[in-house]
Amino acid sequence: MRGLRGRLRILAVALIVIGIGTAIVFPDAARAAATLPILALFSVLRMVAAYLLSLLFAISYGHTAATNRRAATVMLPVMDILQSIPILGFFPFVLLFFVNGPLGDPVGIETAAVFLIFTSMAWNMAFGVYESITTLPQDLDQAARGFGLHGWLRFRLLAFPAMVPKLVYNSILSWTNGWFFLVASEIITTPRASYIRPGLGSFIYLAGQRGDLGGIAIGIAALATVVLLLDIFLWRPTSVWSERFRIETTAAGERPSLHVPSPYERLRWLPRFPRLRREVARRIQPLLDGYARSSSKLDRVYSSHRRVIRAVRRADIGMFVVIFVIVVATGLIGLVGFFQRPLPPGARDLPIAAAFSFSRLLLAYLTALAWTIPAAAWLGRSKWAARFVTPAFEISASIPATALQPLIIGFAVVVTMGGYFAGEIGAYLVSLFAMQWYLLFNLIAGVRSIPGDLDEAARGFGLRGRTYWRRLLLPALVPSLATGSITAWGAGWNALIVAEYLQFGQSVFSVTGLGASLYGATVVTGDYAMGYLTVLTMTAVVLILNKLLWRPIYKRAAVKYRMEV
Amino acid sequence: MSNIGDGVGRETPVTDFRSMSKVSVGQILGLVEAVDEVGGVADAATIAREVDMDIDRLGPILGAAEFLGLVTVEDGDIRITDLSRKLLMASVRERKKIIREIIDDLPTFRLVMDMARNAGTPLGRQEVVQALADRVGSHQAEDVFKALVYWGRYAELVRYDSESEQLTVRVAPT
Amino acid sequence: MGDAQPLLQVKDVSKSYFDNGKEFKILDRIRFELAEHDFVCVVGPSGCGKSTLLRIIVGLDTPTSGEVLFEGHPIRADNPQVAMVFQSFALFPWLTVAQNVELGLEALHEDPAKRRAVAKKFIDAVGLTGFENAYPRELSGGMKQRVGIARALAIEPLLLCMDEPFSSLDALTAQNLRDEILQLWSNPDLPPEAVLMVTHSIEEAVYLADRVIVLSSRPGRMVAELEIDLPRPRNRKDPEFYGWVDEIYSLIV
Repeated sequence: MRGLRGRLRILAVALIVIGIGTAIVFPDAARAAATLPILALFSVLRMVAAYLLSLLFAISYGHTAATNRRAATVMLPVMDILQSIPILGFFPFVLLFFVNGPLGDPVGIETAAVFLIFTSMAWNMAFGVYESITTLPQDLDQAARGFGLHGWLRFRLLAFPAMVPKLVYNSILSWTNGWFFLVASEIITTPRASYIRPGLGSFIYLAGQRGDLGGIAIGIAALATVVLLLDIFLWRPTSVWSERFRIETTAAGERPSLHVPSPYERLRWLPRFPRLRREVARRIQPLLDGYARSSSKLDRVYSSHRRVIRAVRRADIGMFVVIFVIVVATGLIGLVGFFQRPLPPGARDLPIAAAFSFSRLLLAYLTALAWTIPAAAWLGRSKWAARFVTPAFEISASIPATALQPLIIGFAVVVTMGGYFAGEIGAYLVSLFAMQWYLLFNLIAGVRSIPGDLDEAARGFGLRGRTYWRRLLLPALVPSLATGSITAWGAGWNALIVAEYLQFGQSVFSVTGLGASLYGATVVTGDYAMGYLTVLTMTAVVLILNKLLWRPIYKRAAVKYRMEV
Repeated sequence: MSNIGDGVGRETPVTDFRSMSKVSVGQILGLVEAVDEVGGVADAATIAREVDMDIDRLGPILGAAEFLGLVTVEDGDIRITDLSRKLLMASVRERKKIIREIIDDLPTFRLVMDMARNAGTPLGRQEVVQALADRVGSHQAEDVFKALVYWGRYAELVRYDSESEQLTVRVAPT
Repeated sequence: MGDAQPLLQVKDVSKSYFDNGKEFKILDRIRFELAEHDFVCVVGPSGCGKSTLLRIIVGLDTPTSGEVLFEGHPIRADNPQVAMVFQSFALFPWLTVAQNVELGLEALHEDPAKRRAVAKKFIDAVGLTGFENAYPRELSGGMKQRVGIARALAIEPLLLCMDEPFSSLDALTAQNLRDEILQLWSNPDLPPEAVLMVTHSIEEAVYLADRVIVLSSRPGRMVAELEIDLPRPRNRKDPEFYGWVDEIYSLIV
């Protein structure tokens, strides 16, 4: 489509102009920028590795949880907790494990980085798989059973295709989360040593340490470019493709439709290489045949060894339970150990730190609300805005808050002229950037989902200004506000961990809060007991907020303010 | 468009083919059966009541059945033709053959079939829609194309692959 | 074919749901038999548990008491001698018509060439030749149910079970498909040997069946078992036809 093409062209021109401009102003940075493609490749490879792991994990975990009721009683709560806790807080401990382990540097460090990204990607995907299988229409499930589809055959023909739409949707979310963690995972600091792995994240971080604004800008531009290119050429087409696997809910269906949007329809102007594609198709045909043959062989093996496979599966689940019990037990033993020893001296300050952190996030959240609600009301309805302004926001949102961090602190330093408040402003802004996009995009979707005739009816009855907002817009936005808020707060807590201890050039800006306390304990002093306690406090705060605040609100919103379409 | 016949040599406006995109084979056969059951002639309003369809839904079916020469409509009376009596007696497979003979003669269908035969290679959807747009206007072309593929597939005259969006002529079905 | 053993025996099947310790009975001692060449319709108002009964008969659900025997053995869901047609068609949207029809054959581990040949035969029998590579979304409702029927016939079952197969279709399409079902049924070269169909439409039951089993509502009890001895093809405007419909109506109300 012309719109996208135009947007791409504007983006490309803007990037080139910015690139040339910065190259003239900062020649050193320009030299560094020459290494960017290879750094981008490293970063993307880390993401791909973590994503493939997540995919495997999500399918097997979600599928087992959905099909084995006994296992689900353990697996679901575990998934729920792991999804909502601030994973970044556990990273120093994971790191300790990998760095001190037999792998060492660089293999251990890389493994730790991939593992961190994995933990940010896997859970929502697993939930997607779980939901797809538990919401399979009963008739399809019964048809599969009635026609004798078991095991691998059932998975191949029914379960896997059915999970494609949610898996793809969640993959896109996971990649967004992943970029945030990627940036944090490329620079690893322990009290003893600092490890820096080559990548876009470390490029931005190092530029920040040098106080090199041009370098920061180039790094961020490169990261945004990579994110957007992947989005345009990989995720949007995949998401169109996944529509084919959507299950119609109405039995008779409406008019039959011949035309299914092709994944690359909007990118029709791309060179298509028909001959090359035909050649490749011909080459891989034997592979596909082989797959079909081995697949049916696998079916046969599966059905003739059903008992063995059931035993293997049981052992598999058993092993998971054992590992889970061991992990929980070690955690509990560690916790008991804390209370037997005298608490670390800093422990008394933790409640205050928690209060500070919470207030900081609350302030960022309220700021985000204050601007995203009116913005969404406008962006959701204006065609012009949807064409020109929303893409601009999408580009801004593609930059993870972790990458913006050096830029933000630089800005804060300039504004406050290096005072204490630079740290406060920096922490607040990083949290704001981590939270606001989730709210904005959920709210835009909410505004778009208001049925047109409802809107017209409201206007027809003369609802205007304040009354219009109070009677229609705000109530209608409650469900999307609830969804957006839950994700925003999750992202906010993770951001806080990197936001409360900022570095720009030679100066360090640290504020009172759980994030700073964690950083101080695990990176500066090496007091791991204190670090552990901080993470536990943060996890407890997050879980309590989730259970006592967000879940009830979300449940009520889902019932009361849903739009029947 | 009330001229009736055995489906040979009729001159019909090309645009009528569009009405066929909204109806299915089953609906047309069902209509013929329903009229036959009450003696071969029925009041359109009675049929509409009986099959629980308002005129918006029954209209296109009636139109398509008339277009194919299976019924005549005059002063609100639906009357089945000899052709549809033949259709009623036929088996599932013979029915397809009868419909094939009707379809094959329609000018719009002819146009596309000739196009496909002359091309020798599969026709892309865009190509066909473009050619149709020249005849019926661009906003009807999609509907006509849909009708063409549906009826062409049913009559075993064309093959269509929705993945590659390519249309081919089926080799002489028997 | 002899009268040694009925194809299907439904023996005092009852089904209850339990909610908070309370028992909700939905089926109460259903008992009937089905022999080869039987076309039987179970008819009853909504809520009489007829769909549950059908699912118990094909082994997808279990009775609270009683049993279902197929050829003298307890029924199993994946028995390839029994096939099912669904009200919602239950087609796999990501598979083509041919792949959907081959589904049961694939589970039986037939080799691909045989699979294709069998699928082709039944696709042709239901009049779907030409649509082999179409996806369900490209089909009209009537065509979709034809795929459902071809898929069921492709495993060449002895017993074909149909759960309200026409009630998702408009009246014209439904009538056309009923006639085509009867055409298939009268062809001795094609499976099945017997048909068991569940419907809420009395007219449909009288139009199709040799025997109609009438269920009452909540809990479903057998009210009557009637032999419909009208000659085929039946005419729905025939006074005798209407006599049967009226009789069944009076039994249910």
